[in-house]
Amino acid sequence: MTDKTSAALKADQMFINFGPQHPSTHGVLRIALTVEGEVVVKAAPDVGYLHRGMEKLFEARTYSQALILTDRLDYISAMHNNLAYCLAVERLAGVQVPLRAEYLRVLTAELNRIASHLVFFGTFAVDMGAFTPFLYAFREREMILDLFEMLCGGRLLYSYVRVGGVSADLPAGWTEKCREFIAFFKPRLKDYDTLLSTNPIFKSRTDGVGLISAAQALSWGLSGPNLRASGPDYDVRKAEPYCVYDKLNFKVPVARTGSCWDRYYCRMLEMGQSAEIALQCLDALAAPELAPEIMTKGVPKMLKPAAGQAYAHVEASRGDLGFYAVSDGSLSPYRMHVRGPSFLNVAILQEILTGCKIADVVAILGSLDIVLGEVDR
Amino acid sequence: MKNYLSFVAEAFVNTLKGLWVTLKVMFLPTITVQYPTEKMVPYPRFRGMLAYDAEACIACGMCVRACPSKCIALAKAAPAPVPAAVEGQPPAPAVRSGPKIEWYTIDYGRCNFCGLCEESCPTKPVKALWHSLDYEAVFSTREEMTRRWKRGDTLWGTARGSADGQFAPVADQIHIQDVPVRK
Amino acid sequence: MTTEETILTKISEPVFNHANGRLLMPEERYWPSRKWKSPWSLPAYRSGAALLAGILSGAVLAAWLIGEIPLRLAPLYSLAEQYALSYGVPLFLFHLAWTVIKAALLLAVPLVNALFAVWWERKVSAHIQSRLGPMYVGRFQGCLQTVADGLKLFLKEDIVPDCADKLVHLLAPVVVVIPAILVFAPVPFGRELIYADLDIGTVYVFAVGGVSVMGIIMAGWASGNKFSLLGGLRSAAQLVSYELPRTFAVIPIIMLAGTLNISAIAGLQAGYWGGILPRWFIFYPVVGQVAFIVFLIASVAETNRVPFDIPEAESELVAGFNTEYSGMKFALFFLSEFAYVLLSCLLMAAFFFGGGEPPLPFLGFLPSWAWFLAKTLTLMFCFLWFRWTFPRFRVDRLMDFNWKFLLPVSLLNIAAAGLLIWLIS
Repeated sequence: MTDKTSAALKADQMFINFGPQHPSTHGVLRIALTVEGEVVVKAAPDVGYLHRGMEKLFEARTYSQALILTDRLDYISAMHNNLAYCLAVERLAGVQVPLRAEYLRVLTAELNRIASHLVFFGTFAVDMGAFTPFLYAFREREMILDLFEMLCGGRLLYSYVRVGGVSADLPAGWTEKCREFIAFFKPRLKDYDTLLSTNPIFKSRTDGVGLISAAQALSWGLSGPNLRASGPDYDVRKAEPYCVYDKLNFKVPVARTGSCWDRYYCRMLEMGQSAEIALQCLDALAAPELAPEIMTKGVPKMLKPAAGQAYAHVEASRGDLGFYAVSDGSLSPYRMHVRGPSFLNVAILQEILTGCKIADVVAILGSLDIVLGEVDR
Repeated sequence: MKNYLSFVAEAFVNTLKGLWVTLKVMFLPTITVQYPTEKMVPYPRFRGMLAYDAEACIACGMCVRACPSKCIALAKAAPAPVPAAVEGQPPAPAVRSGPKIEWYTIDYGRCNFCGLCEESCPTKPVKALWHSLDYEAVFSTREEMTRRWKRGDTLWGTARGSADGQFAPVADQIHIQDVPVRK
Repeated sequence: MTTEETILTKISEPVFNHANGRLLMPEERYWPSRKWKSPWSLPAYRSGAALLAGILSGAVLAAWLIGEIPLRLAPLYSLAEQYALSYGVPLFLFHLAWTVIKAALLLAVPLVNALFAVWWERKVSAHIQSRLGPMYVGRFQGCLQTVADGLKLFLKEDIVPDCADKLVHLLAPVVVVIPAILVFAPVPFGRELIYADLDIGTVYVFAVGGVSVMGIIMAGWASGNKFSLLGGLRSAAQLVSYELPRTFAVIPIIMLAGTLNISAIAGLQAGYWGGILPRWFIFYPVVGQVAFIVFLIASVAETNRVPFDIPEAESELVAGFNTEYSGMKFALFFLSEFAYVLLSCLLMAAFFFGGGEPPLPFLGFLPSWAWFLAKTLTLMFCFLWFRWTFPRFRVDRLMDFNWKFLLPVSLLNIAAAGLLIWLIS
């Protein structure tokens, strides 16, 4: 044996670039892994490959123009971004929103939550090596995208929620289609449970893997299903109800151990709850006192809020999404800060990845459900 | 031991249940669209490629101001020559023939498909600028993405050539004006 | 503003660039809730079912017309022999030519199998996922898709990474594919339809099949890619450990049959208990079923398919040991994978499902090779079905599952087989 090979054999740690061109980093995330065999010794998530300078772009646009930028943050659940942005601007400018528009906002937000969690379900299944659930999830998501296309013309980037209301009322036949979708969707949730949630292979890969304690979750600033899977029962919809969430009846699923399976199953249960909320909204919208009216009432075309600042946050699909708007009294925001849940969720990777297997890196990353468009902004 | 056996049995049963789910779907009709031979027509509110109607346009520039990505540009037509005043008669109004606009361009490479320009367009009864249902846009160069209408053009959507920078109709390319849908 | 009705009448004429497309109006969107409500009312569904039934009955008819292949070939063979002898060709030369022809036919088995299995896998996976799969190449259901893909792989540039061990990188696919072809020698495809009727056929199959692991490790090592290396190491661990339960699962069968000859094992299962239940080894109480399940699981693991595809785990290791292979070298890995799938299914059909014996007495009018093929294809469908249903094991759980569950179960099963033989005698 030559000296060269013996020296190579002595090297017991290996450095692996997990991403940005890796198939399961959900975009362009890079994790610098140091591994011993298959066990991770050190992990450092490296973000910024998709940086577009979003927060600066807000400052160069009027309030109505800046709305379309929010679509491009977390592009899987654009409706929530629209909503959070509009809530912040409405708070800044003191705009009132018609009640029907509030219900429409909640309805579309919950449908978008289902669509977003379906993407999570599908991609998580692909990360676990099962390809079929991915296409099942996209089959159902396609129906939601059809509904959104019918409602606002966009299939991914909606720009539906506007400052002071929404862009358009429900078109004819939409309500029936939505009910048809929900009736079709609920039994599918059971299929998903049979395919993945109770599958022994899936359970052995996710149950007890990637544990996040409640204290860890809170100190790293996790939110959304990732936080609730660890125990803390914090949901913006319940803690600080916005729109009409205080009038709706729904539960927030909470798990205890904070494993990958808990994070996964919290989302599965949330999908069922979102379907219930959507049904309640449809019932409320059918009521005669919520007859269609102008969807954005009394909002000037060129919005010019007085100098000041406002913060609004919503429970987006991935957690607590906040917009902090500062106005200097001009046509465009002086400063717009986004508190993105994915960015904070991805940070915890460096702590929980240490000591797990390479296969678990994929499981943990998938279970955190990050969208790089929002992480890098 | 009993726990272990029941775990094995449960795992076995759940595995079979999963197989049953996929088998059921296998014998159900497929739901995909065979794209080139079947083409989905979007819903009427769909925001496809922008289409432009010079006849309806009043050259007010609202779309230019509304666009977040500054992809629209236009120039108003020169004011019509005032007819020479005739002695003893009230001055005749300036009569313009044809559209009120000189040229109009959209850079589809920058378009966000957000619909703000269409919403801001004030013309009635039809909008001069609207999102058609066309989603099959293909561009082979960046220059081609800039489409122009100019006084004298019969078609909307001459493209700037990459070689000479001159605007010309594009061969084998969608003419967006062919899409008859308007909202 | 026009109403939606007038818009819809306007777009009833083709508006898109290509005039060959059928326009799908918004109200006929393929919503599964509508398509699945009454599938039999859909013309495409009915015609598809009719097509399937037609293919099946056509295959049955063809098999019935062809009959037993050795019987058909025997007169042909003797005729050729007489003809050759009359021209003074030495007998050993004639036998040599006959062996070469048989070897060429055997060589064609993995190739044809790969062509068919890849297409079939794509169709099965597509329908499991509510898709149609390949539909264009070859007109009928994209049946020539694999041929087109193979041509593409032939024409592709063969890329060898800069830091690869060039010689080993070149040798690895060869080392993988040669045993995958050799291994078919003692495997029967029907009664008397066999290349070499080896008395130690079972041992030969497991011994030769095990050589392919070397090629996979070589591929992982020689690629000079960290992900490939991990894939190669994983496959070494996995394949070596799953050999054990796989072999042990067959031991009860060998004990019951009393021979290692595969075609003899298959032939022993002729006949029926009570005139109805075939005397297949899978119907031997407990022993047969357990042996079959262990053999099935271990075979899936041996062929590196989901849920045991950790050597090439796409979402973890990009593509594992074949990340750095392209063109025909990649195709060879693919070929050997499907060859081993076919081998496992043939073995299972021979060991557990009575080889070419019909499942019911009155179905004996079909030749034995047709039954063999039918059983093999059914088992192969199970492989595809598993692949498109299950998630992937984690590498350490995979080892746990093997050493702590499959191996003890297969050992217990051997003891149970002994008990059964003692009870029977």
